[in-house]
Amino acid sequence: MKFWKNTYNEFIKIAAKPRSYIGIGAITLIVSIILFAMRVDGAFFISLITKPFEQSLSFEGNILNGNLIAFVILQMLIVHVPLLIALVTGDLVSGEAAMGTIRLLVTKPISRTSILLSKYLAGCAYTLVMLLWLMFMALVVGKMIFGTGDMMVLNGNGLVVFSEQDVFWRFASGFSLAYLSLVTVATLSLTLSCFSDNSIGPIVSTMAIIILFTIISTLDVPVLEKVQPYLFTNHMVAWRNFFDDPIPVAKIIKSGEILLIHIIGLLTIAIYKFNKKDILS
Amino acid sequence: MRYYKCIVAFFVAFLFIQQADAQNNTNTFLRSVYNKLQKAKDYTVDAHIKVDMPFVRMLPVNAKIYFKQKDKFKVESKGIAIVPRQGFDQASKMLADSSSFTTIVQGEEKIGAILTKIVNVIPLSDASDMILGKFWIDPVQSVIIKSQLTTRSSGTILTEYSYGKEVMFGLPDEMIVSVDIKKFKVPKGFVSEPTKSSTTKDSEGNGDKRGKIYIKLSNYQINKGISNSVFIK
Amino acid sequence: MQEEEKIIEVSHLVKNYGKFNAVDDASFDVYRGDVYGFLGPNGAGKSTTIRTILSLIKPTSGQIKIFNRDMATHRPYILQRIGCIVEKPDFYNYLSAEKNLEVFARISGVDIPKKRVHEIIEFVGLKGREKDKLRSFSHGMKQRLGIAQTLIHDPELIILDEPTTGLDPQGIIDIRNLILQLKHERNKTILLSSHILSEIELIANRMVIINKGKTIVQGSVTDLLNARDLIVSFQVNDVEKAKQLIQSSTLNLVIESTDDKNLFIHIAQERIPILNKLLCDSGILVYSIEAKRKLEDYFLKLIGA
Repeated sequence: MKFWKNTYNEFIKIAAKPRSYIGIGAITLIVSIILFAMRVDGAFFISLITKPFEQSLSFEGNILNGNLIAFVILQMLIVHVPLLIALVTGDLVSGEAAMGTIRLLVTKPISRTSILLSKYLAGCAYTLVMLLWLMFMALVVGKMIFGTGDMMVLNGNGLVVFSEQDVFWRFASGFSLAYLSLVTVATLSLTLSCFSDNSIGPIVSTMAIIILFTIISTLDVPVLEKVQPYLFTNHMVAWRNFFDDPIPVAKIIKSGEILLIHIIGLLTIAIYKFNKKDILS
Repeated sequence: MRYYKCIVAFFVAFLFIQQADAQNNTNTFLRSVYNKLQKAKDYTVDAHIKVDMPFVRMLPVNAKIYFKQKDKFKVESKGIAIVPRQGFDQASKMLADSSSFTTIVQGEEKIGAILTKIVNVIPLSDASDMILGKFWIDPVQSVIIKSQLTTRSSGTILTEYSYGKEVMFGLPDEMIVSVDIKKFKVPKGFVSEPTKSSTTKDSEGNGDKRGKIYIKLSNYQINKGISNSVFIK
Repeated sequence: MQEEEKIIEVSHLVKNYGKFNAVDDASFDVYRGDVYGFLGPNGAGKSTTIRTILSLIKPTSGQIKIFNRDMATHRPYILQRIGCIVEKPDFYNYLSAEKNLEVFARISGVDIPKKRVHEIIEFVGLKGREKDKLRSFSHGMKQRLGIAQTLIHDPELIILDEPTTGLDPQGIIDIRNLILQLKHERNKTILLSSHILSEIELIANRMVIINKGKTIVQGSVTDLLNARDLIVSFQVNDVEKAKQLIQSSTLNLVIESTDDKNLFIHIAQERIPILNKLLCDSGILVYSIEAKRKLEDYFLKLIGA
């Protein structure tokens, strides 16, 4: 019972913090800019997709529709949204230490594990809100402006066209996997937050790790190729696999497993550290 | 000697007349095909389009095609439809002005149960996008059974036609369009998987490929009148 | 005589940070109803000890029992019955006073109705400011809110770590009066850490002095200080005359020292008016009478200053 009450407390705190709205504001602004740009110059963007085929083929129908726009937005932002998540989740423990409120919190009759899990749950809920907002801006607002229709996706294997009825479940599944990758980032930043008494450190460290792992993922060096499949950054774009035909189910399951292993491992470290930590701030 | 010269002159004249006659016959032949096509001043038709192409994966899609003389053409679909870039009336456009091309009869070929006449059509203008047209024509029905159009912009488009009840207008029930597909390469910055390179395994080392578009046409509404506003994009 | 109940038992507490011993074998007991003074110079280990009692810090060795239960194994039970302020009271600046109290009340282990929140806000003198964000509060107001947070779930034991730090004189008096009120009217047990000696002397009945992490002495304030004996300074117009008068009187007083204006006399509190009358009746003008804190001497002597 105290766990749920504390979780409710954490929701209140996140909702009251001004920084929680930076991410939502940023997403609103960025997506609005993309929607505006697409409205003005969408035809040029479409020509980039259809260019390989334009010599012989013509594409008819509402190509630049809300579904394609949502896909483009998700593809662009999924690398940047983790920073906005870390801005809040990286502050969950270290922010309390910096403010001094952790002294009061840890002297309450609730276990440290419960305190941490409450914060984690609230952080995951915040991540979900951010992603749902992104989905709303991209899909709902996108469809309001551009209408709906079949979705054309360009990937490494060529062009895939999904019928309109076939798109929504792909988005739902893709967003679910994207959520898992964002929760991994949230877990990482929360874990780093347990090692610090200031807010900036965990946030910057989270981004540094993401950048480092992304660079390692792109290097074509044999010794690194053994490690690359296990880096969580390699699986942050796994949601795109739902927009392939046929869907590489085994690949998706593997990505999900790697992300889950990261989440469980990081959370275990966080719980251990938070329980052992002397509160000196 | 004079007798010999007369025989040569006779044969040359005979060949010339034969050729002129053949040319006339071919032109008349193509003209009858063209005239048949002209009977349909406008039409709408339901199309079921299926694409079988390397690097493209999509389910069949339904579309509506609008046509109005002499060159208004529109494909309307709820979903995304892939159609030949030149549209469906290229043959008709090519045959419109008989003075703009010359023809050569290549022979005959049996396609199915139909003994078709093969006619090569060569544009006379160097500025024309069309380089060469080859038609397999049913001489009885005066319809095109197969066409092979080579253009500067689109490469070679091979189209096979099947006819049903609208044969009197030269409008097919079914078309199979075969087009050239260039080596597929994703534009830079489009592939978001960081571990993938931008060219595909399929395209590496392979030359140009060909793809097919299968179009089934039904429910023709011919000469019912179509407003020009339909064709405004 | 009913045996006094031990509320806090700290036995041979040790806390090391590497080679540094922050607490080095500290032991003391706090009884029910005590206002227990916890004294020591800066860096003596007071805060470390209090944080260890409250499970903010894990001890290296030693035992802490509260309400006769081991803190290591009965943490929720114990903390539900404790209210505390550790160093300065920090709250969520982006929440109002009311919301801050609700947040902490929600996890105090006791169901606290909203009415109670308003009652406690009024009790600490913050009525009318409950909706204001904490960032607009002064230090004194935050201290009051800290007290409110400590009391909201009506704990049996209250631990205050330097509660008067940064307060103005009125604020200090208010806190002192509140502590006495809690002791006498609500029968709370209070562990009070302070380096303001007069505070401890005035309100504590028991105390412990620690230095360099070790317990130096513990016991009742009266027994330790023999508080009836004071050193009092009398500022007079004629020091020599006053000195001779006192030495020749039957009061049997010891003059600790003199300077050109003052006599410093070792005297019981109830005899001050008698000496004053004697000096005045003899024509000596007495400008001021001031009791010097004996605790200061005692404290400084113990810590080797």
